[in-house]
Amino acid sequence: MRKDSPLARFWSEFRESRVAVAALVVVVLMIGVALLAPLIAPQNPYDLANLVLSDARRPPGYVGSGGYTHWLGTDAQGRDLLSAILYGLRISLQMGLVAGAIAFAIGVTLGIAAAYLGGRREAFIMRVIDLQLAFPAILLALVISALLGQGKAQLIAALVAAQYAYFARTAHGAASAERGKDYVEAALSTPLPARQVIWRHILPNCLPPLIVVATVQVANAIALEATLSFLGVGLPVTEPSLGSLIANGFQYMLSGRYWISIYPGLALILLIVAINLVGDQIRDQVNPRLKR
Amino acid sequence: MLTHVIERVLQALAVMLVMSALVFVGVYAIGNPIDVLIGPDVSQDIRLDTIARYGLDRPLWEQYVTFLGRVLHGDFGRSFVFGMPVLELILSRLPATLELTLAAVFGAALIGIPAGIYAGYRPDSPFSKLIMALSILGFSVPTFWIGLVLIMTFAVELSWLPAGGRGETAQLFGVEWSFLTLNGLSHLFLPALNLAFFKLALMTRLARAGTREVMLTDTVKFARAAGISEGVILRRHVLRLISIPLVTVFGLEFASTLAFAVVTETIFSWPGIGKLIIDSIQSLDRPVMVAYLMLVAFVFIMINFLVDLTYFALDPRLRKGRA
Amino acid sequence: MSAGAPLLEVSDLTTQFFTRAGVVKAVDGVSFSLRRGEVMGLVGESGSGKSVTGFSIIGLIDPPGRVAGGSVKLEGHELVGLPPDQLRTLRGRVVSMVFQDPLMTLNPVLTIGEQIRLALEAHQKVSAAEARSRAIAGLAQVRIPRPEATVDFYPHQLSGGMRQRVAIAIALLHRPKLIICDEPTTALDVSIQAEILAEMKELVAELGTALIWISHDLATVASIAQHVAVMRLGKIVEAGPTLDVLTRPQHAYTRALLDALPSRAKPGEFLLRGGGVPDAAPPARRPVTAAAPVPGAPYFVADRVSKRFEARPGALCGLGQKLGLVQPPPAVMAVDEVSLVVRRGEALGLVGESGSGKSTLGRMAAGIYAPSSGTVRFEGRPVMSAGAEPKKLTIRVQTIFQDPFASLNPRMRVSDSIAEGPLAHGLVDKAGSAAYVRDWLAAVGLDPAFAERYPHQFSGGQRQRVAIARALAMQPDLVVCDEPVASLDVSIQAQIINLLMRLRAELGLTLIFISHDLSVVRHLCDRVAVMYRGRIVEEGPAGQVYDNPQHDYTKRLLAAVPVLPEAAA
Repeated sequence: MRKDSPLARFWSEFRESRVAVAALVVVVLMIGVALLAPLIAPQNPYDLANLVLSDARRPPGYVGSGGYTHWLGTDAQGRDLLSAILYGLRISLQMGLVAGAIAFAIGVTLGIAAAYLGGRREAFIMRVIDLQLAFPAILLALVISALLGQGKAQLIAALVAAQYAYFARTAHGAASAERGKDYVEAALSTPLPARQVIWRHILPNCLPPLIVVATVQVANAIALEATLSFLGVGLPVTEPSLGSLIANGFQYMLSGRYWISIYPGLALILLIVAINLVGDQIRDQVNPRLKR
Repeated sequence: MLTHVIERVLQALAVMLVMSALVFVGVYAIGNPIDVLIGPDVSQDIRLDTIARYGLDRPLWEQYVTFLGRVLHGDFGRSFVFGMPVLELILSRLPATLELTLAAVFGAALIGIPAGIYAGYRPDSPFSKLIMALSILGFSVPTFWIGLVLIMTFAVELSWLPAGGRGETAQLFGVEWSFLTLNGLSHLFLPALNLAFFKLALMTRLARAGTREVMLTDTVKFARAAGISEGVILRRHVLRLISIPLVTVFGLEFASTLAFAVVTETIFSWPGIGKLIIDSIQSLDRPVMVAYLMLVAFVFIMINFLVDLTYFALDPRLRKGRA
Repeated sequence: MSAGAPLLEVSDLTTQFFTRAGVVKAVDGVSFSLRRGEVMGLVGESGSGKSVTGFSIIGLIDPPGRVAGGSVKLEGHELVGLPPDQLRTLRGRVVSMVFQDPLMTLNPVLTIGEQIRLALEAHQKVSAAEARSRAIAGLAQVRIPRPEATVDFYPHQLSGGMRQRVAIAIALLHRPKLIICDEPTTALDVSIQAEILAEMKELVAELGTALIWISHDLATVASIAQHVAVMRLGKIVEAGPTLDVLTRPQHAYTRALLDALPSRAKPGEFLLRGGGVPDAAPPARRPVTAAAPVPGAPYFVADRVSKRFEARPGALCGLGQKLGLVQPPPAVMAVDEVSLVVRRGEALGLVGESGSGKSTLGRMAAGIYAPSSGTVRFEGRPVMSAGAEPKKLTIRVQTIFQDPFASLNPRMRVSDSIAEGPLAHGLVDKAGSAAYVRDWLAAVGLDPAFAERYPHQFSGGQRQRVAIARALAMQPDLVVCDEPVASLDVSIQAQIINLLMRLRAELGLTLIFISHDLSVVRHLCDRVAVMYRGRIVEEGPAGQVYDNPQHDYTKRLLAAVPVLPEAAA
């Protein structure tokens, strides 16, 4: 990265916010921990042979039959909660990032295509998108997961369906604004091929607001996945995400075994808050109306 | 203006039609309702008879047309599970959800907007930073988890407030409401707070962003140059300018709050339509699902329409005419 | 001039901005004084600190800026260091201010009457009826027709000139002793500017208000102010009676500013302060491979071209229109059946005020917009293909845009911006493109080492040079220049004008030069076409149109241009 590139300038401005840098470190750490879960977790929570029923629902600090300390306690099946959280984080992040990436690709393609094509096609695409945006994402995801059944692929489909429209809306807005700018008109009057105008001129200049939406939507996808799993229409119990862990602990909470729900919840919140803090800083940085 | 209204009404009709088809086809693709309707050990004759009685043997499009025809007469069919007309069922649950949603949305707006304006007006003050930190939390923490924590804290540990149900209700306009009794209010408080959390954060952030931008404009500078006091600038200039995006979000959020009530009602066992829809998804109660989704779509279109009309009231630039 | 203590006494005023890059002294030790009823002009280029001086006087410097020292005495009372609420009671009542763009200063969602009422209530208690009658009186004072109706209008229902009059009415509401006007006519057309200038002169004379008129334009200042101060880099470099300063400038900077004005030079000559050493010659052209011109066809012609902009209805509303249920919204005719011929090698000026359609016509000529009807042909062949998705067919017509901050892709190195067109059309191969870009940068007077920079690393004038290099690297024969110097300071403007004149001669270019600035067009162009409301109302050799205008509109336009006093020989 050269010192004078727009990216370098962006980073030097980003670095000024300590909160945002700390949040970015948290996000990176959590992704790293999730990737390394099989190596660092004390137990493989999916391996039923590891689970001992007498270890179930033990409070934090309990030394189980495995001979090691369950720092965060155990759940109803006798799983080590720390291990379950690490593996759950892995699944939650995977769902959020994959759904976010697919929604980004579909939404941005539709949005930029609409802005570039103009006319009736633009009107039609954006009408459909607007309609969908008017419909609450959670309901859409709920109905689609109910239709498709449980499973990772089904859940991702539901998340994408609930989110792509936000990307499309933002991409369309940004691309329409860029489309009218002089540098795009200059490229058109050269003339450069449409492909080149879109890829080299319009798309790179639409990225800042899209990155902001992407951070928010990945955070939302993770929260939405947790909510769906909590409601029992998300992932099957064999693949517990953070949301399913929280749901499983819900029934024990009223009897005072708070840790089964609370610790996965804290991990989930830490992740989402960190992503949103990073997104917030980027939002402020790319908002031209706040520049003096 | 009239052109606009006509356009919107035509659009609303088209959307409702498309929605009904989508919902119908979508919902009817799930599972086999016959297994819900009758036990597995009944005779083949009764089975076929039931299928014919519900019209499930006809082609999908025919079922749809029959359905549309009945809907036009206000008949959404009978719930498989409750055995009562769906419309009646939903209407009996609607007030609970409306009460919860309205309490949440208005609470969020009444607290969030002033807090956001303050945070946008003095972005560097410690109190603003606190507001923003809280709003990031409210924006990030999933509704269902806050619900759990609220129950654990105020119902289980402190035993201040009840953990679920509507409590005592009183009648108004022939409908039962919780907010009219003290006991009902105590039941309403936690779920409404839970549902309001996200909206509160959203309203705060939106009001703050709008205020920050407006405060940097020449409009505010010119008002200051005319000697207008800061209070008047905030109340008369800034509030009017940021009200347009706020109203949009308020409208959209009202509808999405209605949808998010699904989560809150599940946690707090609040007997509204959200709880009903989750139960009917689990029990494959098709008529209830279809009617619920169409109701939500209808509410959505109506709210969008109202938001549009409010625009005309708030933004004179949209009204036609030039001197 | 009456005796007595001065109304305003500014001494050693210093305003600093505390930015990330360090402390910037925007105003650096400015001193002047102003008597009651006196009009003073404050001129300077962008960044000279003239506006910041104005805002410092009324105490409206936002963080990270701050008045760091000096004193501002109004009627003997010190304003610097006054608590905010005491300053507020003075603003609007004793000193008031008018800003550049009335569209940005008036609140779009409040009626004119409400806005005036808020300004009234800032300093006194008034009843609703009283506020309304005061508002109507205030509007009548600034010559707004039908004030009883206008008071209920919203800003968007008024024209730019009317909006600025409303802003002036608000500033005059409490009969202040001093009004500060910050570039009040810059966003307005020249004919509106002339009206506002005349009215403002009458008003201050009538009310005895002192006025500080801040502007980048020497000519407008000369037509209103008795005294003028020239600012540069936060300091006043020269001050005195307007006539003296403009006819016998003492400071080198003032002389340079005056010399840079095209109105003070002979048409076609290089402007005096437009730049020193001649730049490198542009790279050689490609061998001519283009198809031979169609015999007998004019070099470049716009044949009865029109451009209609219409609000497109939604699908259902469109259906409603077809069925006659709904009235279609009126279409805007930006260009209305205009025909135009440009001869090889000539420079045609296209002048007109905002909304005249000159830019739209230019964009059709350049192949950016497709005409709604009519055709544009270059050497007998259409510039754009017909059909639903028109494409530009020729690379021999290129464009230079107004705002160099907008016309370069901020995320591309300038070398890529310049090279991508020639690469896409095979004017240069990949291996040769780096040298080609360097040659062009040298030809427009930039250091070839700048090739790897991004646009944000250049100043406005340098960016416009890059934009010129980008257009010319396509080796066009005809260049459409859309207000290429309008957003530049006069000294930079002179450099760019000189550069365009030199390159035109060296490359044998034909120019279509669009501008609202009559003096620039006169300086650069052989022929002029005057546009008004989408049509060309007058066309002819530049000298003839300027010295002997035939159409009423041309006469009005020329009369509205403020003129600098000529130096007594």
